[in-house]
Amino acid sequence: MVQYNFKKITVVPNGKDFVDIILSRTQRQTPTVVHKGYAISRIRQFYMRKVKYTQTNFHEKLSTIIDEFPRLDDIHPFYGDLLHVLYNKDHYKLALGQINTARNLIGKIAKDYVKLLKYADSLYRCKTLKVAALGRMCTVTKRIGPSLAYLEQIRQHMARLPSIDPNTRTILICGYPNVGKSSFINKITRADVDVQPYAFTTKSLFVGHTDYKYLRYQVIDTPGILDRPFEDRNIIEMCSITALAHLRAAILFFLDISGSCGYSIAQQAALFHSIKSLFMNKPLIVVCNKTDLLPLDKVSEEDMKLVMEMKAEATKTVIGEGGESTNDEEVLLAMSTLNEDGVIAVKNAACERLLDQRVEQKMKSKKINDCLNRFHVATPKPRDQKERPPCIPQAVLEAKAKEAAEKEKRKLERDNENENGGAGVYSASLKKHYILADDEWKEDIMAEILDGHNVYDFVDPDILQRLEELEREEGLRQEQGEDEDLEMDEELTPEQKEALAAIRKKKSLLIKEHRIKKSTAESRPIVPRKFNKDRNFTSDRMGRQLSSIGLDPTLAINRARSKSRGRKRERSRDGDDGAMDVDGEHSNKKLRLRSTSRSRSMSRPPHEVVPGEGYKDSVQKMKAIKLARNSSNKRNKSARKGEGDRVIPNLKPKHLFSGKRGIGKTDRR
Amino acid sequence: MATRLQFENSCEIGVFSKLTNAYCLVAIGGSENFYSVFESELAGVIPVVKTSIGGTRIIGRLCAGNKNGLLLPHTTTDQELQHLRNSLPDQVVVQRVDERLSALGNCIACNDHVALTHTDLDRETEELIADVLGVEVFRQTIAGNILVGSYCAFSNRGGLVHPHTSIEDLDELSTLLQVPLVAGTVNRGSEVVAAGLTVNDWTAFCGSDTTATELSVIESVFKLRESQPSSIVDEMRKSLIDTYV
Repeated sequence: MVQYNFKKITVVPNGKDFVDIILSRTQRQTPTVVHKGYAISRIRQFYMRKVKYTQTNFHEKLSTIIDEFPRLDDIHPFYGDLLHVLYNKDHYKLALGQINTARNLIGKIAKDYVKLLKYADSLYRCKTLKVAALGRMCTVTKRIGPSLAYLEQIRQHMARLPSIDPNTRTILICGYPNVGKSSFINKITRADVDVQPYAFTTKSLFVGHTDYKYLRYQVIDTPGILDRPFEDRNIIEMCSITALAHLRAAILFFLDISGSCGYSIAQQAALFHSIKSLFMNKPLIVVCNKTDLLPLDKVSEEDMKLVMEMKAEATKTVIGEGGESTNDEEVLLAMSTLNEDGVIAVKNAACERLLDQRVEQKMKSKKINDCLNRFHVATPKPRDQKERPPCIPQAVLEAKAKEAAEKEKRKLERDNENENGGAGVYSASLKKHYILADDEWKEDIMAEILDGHNVYDFVDPDILQRLEELEREEGLRQEQGEDEDLEMDEELTPEQKEALAAIRKKKSLLIKEHRIKKSTAESRPIVPRKFNKDRNFTSDRMGRQLSSIGLDPTLAINRARSKSRGRKRERSRDGDDGAMDVDGEHSNKKLRLRSTSRSRSMSRPPHEVVPGEGYKDSVQKMKAIKLARNSSNKRNKSARKGEGDRVIPNLKPKHLFSGKRGIGKTDRR
Repeated sequence: MATRLQFENSCEIGVFSKLTNAYCLVAIGGSENFYSVFESELAGVIPVVKTSIGGTRIIGRLCAGNKNGLLLPHTTTDQELQHLRNSLPDQVVVQRVDERLSALGNCIACNDHVALTHTDLDRETEELIADVLGVEVFRQTIAGNILVGSYCAFSNRGGLVHPHTSIEDLDELSTLLQVPLVAGTVNRGSEVVAAGLTVNDWTAFCGSDTTATELSVIESVFKLRESQPSSIVDEMRKSLIDTYV
């Protein structure tokens, strides 16, 4: 459905502002610097761009104006006519037409000048052409200044029009001026229309909304209408006529039976008859207002006749729309807006009649078939004997019974929240309404993860039952097991038992040893004998082991001992053993003497060739030694371990890299 | 008596709450406003429990339940399960379901006697529904939608279904469920009925966008006041025609 909202039309600037806006935008959004040295094609392109950009901006702005203002022929005839009444259709169309022409003119200007710019041969020519183009565009805009001003005025006025939906349920109030139309709308809606004791207080349409039977009704208050020829009516009256003519609404024709409005019933009846063609096919109710001043039954006879005539007319509309005139109350109603007598009755009657009419029309439309299912209440057919009762707690029923008497005020969580710092500060405990066997358990902290296990994976509500089952099962098995054990014991003799124990012991020892070995051997380096502080691997042990197997260990032990190096002194003595054998009188003194007098000269000279070293003779060896010394000389000086030692002990020595001098000030030290 | 409310500016309150005859689950929100609406209506009668399911707030769409039990999706954490078991009365069986379609609320619609389910639900799940919730289970669609849990809401007294449900379907469903049914909308024309409405046998909550007409249809069909479902075709008929057509 089309929504009529004229509040969103963008502001129309006046001619001068329009030019300023466009030119400043061109200035800001296109390049501004051009040099004489540029190639001519570039200069042309520079100015062409400016011209084209200005033109597109003009086009854009003018197009929004043309598009956003409603086209009077396209919108709902009610709005079309209302706008015509208020602003004069011809004038309006002319203004928009001028804007459109200006748009086309500007487009043409831009096209011409771009063409001329193509042939410009200097910077100066280009510039003058651009100035001319922009100048002409601005002149065009200035010329449509009055139209722009007019459109801006209209825009401001349209934004203030009430937002009337021409298609919704509408109640229209009409009648002579000062008969109480605005008072009535103030009574049934919250429109708050100005009410004053003089004619033409209401100068335009006003809208209010009221509810009836779950539906919302739009109530329109119209300015008063005088009984005079159509052409003489002023704009204010024409608003009412437009609304009456185009809105499919329930019409309340207000009649001041007291005559305090300044017009007699006869005059009002005349108006009724002159505009009754506008009431065709609309639910019409004649409302006699101001009964507080003069009740309906005290109206003079001839006036009553006029009223009855009107009533007869109104009844015709009922028959015209196909309904039967069931009761007179629905067509002629009396009320007093001052003491609110019958106001609601009028509203209800109007709403009801309007609803009836709309429903009747809609029932004839095709669309009803799509919605039929929504007016259908499916009632269940019994399919079995099962009872399916609702489940309403007793407390609810009691509360409902009590509700009538008094409503107790419960302290809500929201109240707690507000007392304790408001939303975002207060955090309610989730646990406080737990239903547990003991209230003290509520705040108990439950572990979620314990020793890397999710605790809830091990929570089992049937654990006790299962434990019992398991225990029973185990008991059964134990009984069986005991029987078996007894049988086996009987088979073994005491000797066998002993042997078994020995075997088991040995086995466990072996396993243990193996484990130790495995754990140590892999995790620590093999310790050389001389560092074997615990003396585990002695020849004594070997002897014990061998003899336990049943071998004679002496030979092996001797051999092992002969191989071992022993102490140095013992070794040297060993070497003398032969001599001692020869002459046993050699005393310790002599030995000592020899050991002390042993001189450096006795040692092997470096150049002496030892077989296996790979030298031919001592000369060659001397040469090699010299060479080696020379080669290692340099290395030793720079404190390197060998040829492969490429260590740089300190990559960036601090003394070379710190200091006040920055990089590049002086030469590096 | 139906109440209009919002959950943090969202009118889809059926997403953030689950109401049954024995308990009410409410999502944990930024303030207590949402919770307190339920609390003021229900506290003292049935437990109103703030909870999350699988760390989310869309609890209404994830779980399904009635006065007998509560089915939770496999995404529910152990702590949430524990919390719910602690908070709900012992008569209510709380059960976690290993079902591939984990939005159980969207796939299952039930009252205390009958359940409609998504057509692709596992056989085991179907058995679980029957056992835990104590209901007859029917695999059904509503107006061609397989997400039965989203497109209908019913209690033991009445039900509201997707607005495009045909009259024949309405009659069939009504016979299955043994409650009066009406096709309708909530939240100013929203057809995801269960998202905008949560209802039990004596009260209903609906999104704050719900119009007066929708609300009166809801109150009549669920028999929340004196009005009976028949009033929809009698007194309200005209208003309904004028709104829908």
